[in-house]
Amino acid sequence: MSIESEIASEVAGLQPGQRPAITLKSAEFRRTREQGWADLEKLIGITQGKGVRALSPDELERMPQLYRATLSSLSVARAIALDRNLLLYLESLSLRAYLALYSPRIGIIEAGRQFLRAFPAAVISARWHVLIAFLSLALGIVAGFWLTIGDESWFTTFVPGWLSGGRGVASTRASLLNGEIFAPWPGFAVSLGIVSNYLFSHNTLVGILSFSLGLFAGVPTVLLLAYQGLTLGAFLALHYNRDLTVDFLGWLSIHGVTELTAIVLFGAGGLVLAEKMLFPDRYSRVDSLALHGRRAAEIAVGAVMMLFVAGILEGEFRQLVASTPWRFVIAAASAVGWLCYLILLRPREPAL
Amino acid sequence: MTTTDAAANVLRREWRKRREIVTPEAVPLTVELAEFSERAIALLIDLVILFVAIFVLLFMLAFLTVKGLSGVVFVGVLMLVLFFSRVVYFIHFELTARGATPGKRAVGIRVVDRRGGPLQASAVIARNLTREIEIFLPLSMLISAGGGGPGVHWGYLLLLGWMICFLALMFFNRDRMRAGDLIAGTMVIALPRQRLLGDLVEARARFVFADDQLEAYGKRELQVLEDLLRRPNDRETQVLLRDVADRICRKIAWPQPLPPADTVPFLRDFYTAQRAFLEREQLFGRPRADKFEAAAKRD
Repeated sequence: MSIESEIASEVAGLQPGQRPAITLKSAEFRRTREQGWADLEKLIGITQGKGVRALSPDELERMPQLYRATLSSLSVARAIALDRNLLLYLESLSLRAYLALYSPRIGIIEAGRQFLRAFPAAVISARWHVLIAFLSLALGIVAGFWLTIGDESWFTTFVPGWLSGGRGVASTRASLLNGEIFAPWPGFAVSLGIVSNYLFSHNTLVGILSFSLGLFAGVPTVLLLAYQGLTLGAFLALHYNRDLTVDFLGWLSIHGVTELTAIVLFGAGGLVLAEKMLFPDRYSRVDSLALHGRRAAEIAVGAVMMLFVAGILEGEFRQLVASTPWRFVIAAASAVGWLCYLILLRPREPAL
Repeated sequence: MTTTDAAANVLRREWRKRREIVTPEAVPLTVELAEFSERAIALLIDLVILFVAIFVLLFMLAFLTVKGLSGVVFVGVLMLVLFFSRVVYFIHFELTARGATPGKRAVGIRVVDRRGGPLQASAVIARNLTREIEIFLPLSMLISAGGGGPGVHWGYLLLLGWMICFLALMFFNRDRMRAGDLIAGTMVIALPRQRLLGDLVEARARFVFADDQLEAYGKRELQVLEDLLRRPNDRETQVLLRDVADRICRKIAWPQPLPPADTVPFLRDFYTAQRAFLEREQLFGRPRADKFEAAAKRD
């Protein structure tokens, strides 16, 4: 008889020689802890079925304790037990409790508030990316303007037919003024449709493209931004040549301040992705992306929000306010508003 | 492949891919990745629920504003309503305590943080809004583009290619992440459903085994025997049990022949003795993973 079984028989109070009852440490361990596991399972069942609110205060207090006790049981069982069903059960129970305890328990309103606090911080942390994106766009505008101002055939090169909406080399001053800059307001429902079409068409496509193409080292992002600039510059030159610069700028800036900021931010988000992919620091590229991707996504989501505001400004206000000075006032107000929100008055404390 | 491996494959049907996460308490847990089909079905269920809800909503809306809505405008408003209801639906359900949309709950899958930390609200928002970029916005554009200029066909192809690229991304990484999961640092797992079954240990043994007989096998063989003993008792199981009992008798040189009625008691006693022996050896720092390691330790 080995030493261990001798000890075991002494503990069991048996005479040597008598056949010992087999006592397994793992079976004993299971017998003493089983009740706690069953309790935890019951509590998880309640939270999954009726939600956390269905738990009494006592149960609420017990649940994390039981969870930690179960985790400790799992660690012990891994060391001493070879019962596969027991190990799988404990692992499964621990995972279910982990999922129940570590899920975000905030409403969508609270999540929205957290986001509104996180967005400016994300933008500030990506200020260099914002600068690069802005420069790309500005470069495009300047180039588009200079090229088109001298030779208007560049306009047809830069602006695809479906975007120009009938405007082009052949447009006269009057047709631009009445058909575009001071076009009549078509009514609420129709303009809401315009907002929506606008939101889900050109600009969002450009925005999400320049964001996602950041995954390709950021080069397409910069090119796309510069191309947007070219288009805009061409439009500007077209109106400049017809002596409509001020009216056009008013027409553009009422929503353009918001819209162009949004597009720059999309680009900046894409550039963040590009940077973290190219220079993952000490992480793997996928981990680096996961670590910083959330910040980039916050910027992009914020930019979608800004596009939505721009859509309302374009669809409703621009048509309602048919006066260039007032348009400039609204544009300036929106610029000040975004400046305050994003930079000057941004929440200092990071969201929890 | 040994006979034990073959038996384990038949008994366990482990077809899911496994990953390890480490909880904030520093305990590693094994999770099972959700299958593509499960995720597709979950999405489908969610979309059907959304579709019905929006249909009811629009039905009421249509009664309110029958006049003055042209086709293009209607599509525009529709897109807007769809966009907001989608965003609110997915984010709301994944943020509440149950942590999954109705579709995901029906299928039994969950979103978790890839490294095992607490699931952040920002991660949930990020992964759901990225879904917009991946599928829904291109889809909306495809629908609302309607009759356009000559460039539209290329636009269709571009948008389709866009969606296909994002879809393909899921199949080309080991954690089956879509772009949203990649950015948010999450993955989708199957919910565990393991029940605690009775302990197979026999308190009083009729058959007694000597230590040198128990040295023949290791942990793997023990656990396959456990799976076999837990199988429902039908004809096939009985045949298998008898076969295993014969093999064990040969291996450990069991002296007397075993009557068929004693098959199960013999195997349960053997399981108990074997587990007691292996657990004791493991405690003393001599674990035996399988019969090959056991044989190596014996020599």
